[in-house]
Amino acid sequence: MLDKLFESLYLKVFVNIIIKESSTLVYIEIHSKKGVLDNRQAEFDTLEPNEKMLDFIQNYIKESPFYYISVLDNSLLQGALPTCSKNRLAYYYDLSNCEYKCYKEKWSYYTAKAELYELEKRYSEIGLDFIFSPFLIIANFFQDKIKSSLALYVLVEENYISLAVFEESNLLYAEHLDIHAQNEDDEFFLANDENESVDLDLQESQAGIDLEDIEIDEDDELEDFADIEDLDSIEEIEEFEESKDIEEELLESDTVFDEPDEENFNEDYQRFIAIQSSVARYYKDERYESRFIENIYIADSVSVSSDFKKYLEEEMFLNVYIRHVEIEAELCELTKEELGL
Amino acid sequence: MRYSYIKPRKKTPFTPDVVLIVIFFSITIIMLVSTYLFLLYKDYSFENERENLIQNRLALEQNIEKMERQIHYIQKQQSVAQRVFTQNMVLKDSITNLFDLVPQRITLSRADLLKKGLILYGVTPSKDVYNFMLQAPLRSIFQKSYTSFYPAGNGWLNFVSTNYIVNDDSGELDSED
Repeated sequence: MLDKLFESLYLKVFVNIIIKESSTLVYIEIHSKKGVLDNRQAEFDTLEPNEKMLDFIQNYIKESPFYYISVLDNSLLQGALPTCSKNRLAYYYDLSNCEYKCYKEKWSYYTAKAELYELEKRYSEIGLDFIFSPFLIIANFFQDKIKSSLALYVLVEENYISLAVFEESNLLYAEHLDIHAQNEDDEFFLANDENESVDLDLQESQAGIDLEDIEIDEDDELEDFADIEDLDSIEEIEEFEESKDIEEELLESDTVFDEPDEENFNEDYQRFIAIQSSVARYYKDERYESRFIENIYIADSVSVSSDFKKYLEEEMFLNVYIRHVEIEAELCELTKEELGL
Repeated sequence: MRYSYIKPRKKTPFTPDVVLIVIFFSITIIMLVSTYLFLLYKDYSFENERENLIQNRLALEQNIEKMERQIHYIQKQQSVAQRVFTQNMVLKDSITNLFDLVPQRITLSRADLLKKGLILYGVTPSKDVYNFMLQAPLRSIFQKSYTSFYPAGNGWLNFVSTNYIVNDDSGELDSED
């Protein structure tokens, strides 16, 4: 009771920390009873909290005892699973060394305990109050879309990509990727490609044989292929067009893409590769319920290039919708939601 | 803790600075209050003491009054005793004088000592003996003296002598009380 009274008398200071590729973004929002009083943000060229950054934060948190420091988890050993049942969780991932939470009794997100300790240790000087998963940002940011449609939702950060497939608020698949690590993996796969290509050829030749067998054995069914033209019929194409999110497209029409430069292109290509391979893993992995993805919603915090969108559209045949997201503001929203404000 | 992996730290407005100020002020207030209470108590106890002293003084005054009354009474008793003693002495002397006054030839059978007089009963061999030997000294003491005789069986005379002091000597009369 007394605490509530004091709490209402003081300002609330929300400190939100986003660790980027080579810098740390600190976003501070000051709240009174009436609403947001002020917000400030500063970027520091460090991954570890240095004196300058701590001074900046201390400067604001000393204004009120009711300050909350939140950080976005960027651990590589994190993800989300399509169940909340403890028995089912182990089927997807071994969570013995992980901290996990259930989201609205529908799906869970997890991260490695060691990474949490590491984060807490890193910020021990100012302490941490909340550590949020990027999947929460996806769920919050796209809550209007997640409710109704099946799509792939992606949060693009400087060097991370969090992606999740949702169907009517139910998570089907999720992954958190480091685009650079992904790149290395791909290089590794490319290096092994020569060996694998032989196997693929073999498989293809076998498949060829099978097809021939079918053609010989089932002549009658050949007639069915006459209907194959139907697939190209205009109606079908229209149906496909209907699956497009018109409203989102209208919103997106205002989006101005950056002029692609060489570096951005590289990064975006890596992102594309990461998304492509992740989607492939989703289709391939039998543990997850496979659904055909037509739409992809991207929460873009780094201003991706138009090439990135083009890639996804042309290579993966997806309807791509990009929304710009201020991750730090979203993190702040999560903090407020957590505190029931 | 619904979404966050970790629990937020407990937030309290009592930062070390605030705690220090609160402690300082509370100690000051406690000291002020205790001083006030101490003074209140002292005031109360002084008031009580004063009441007690007033009561004591009244009691003592009453005692003094009582004792003064007693002293007065005792003084009165003493004076009465003194007077009685003096009267007794006087009486004793008077009786001694009286018996010294009576000659050997006259025998007294009875003597009534009155407030302002003396009645003597007795036998005398003759009137003359009486008149010379007893009447003369009696007259020197009493202003009025009446004597009546009547014969006794053996030829002697019984007499009754009534003597009065006429002039009022109050001091002497009071002493006879």
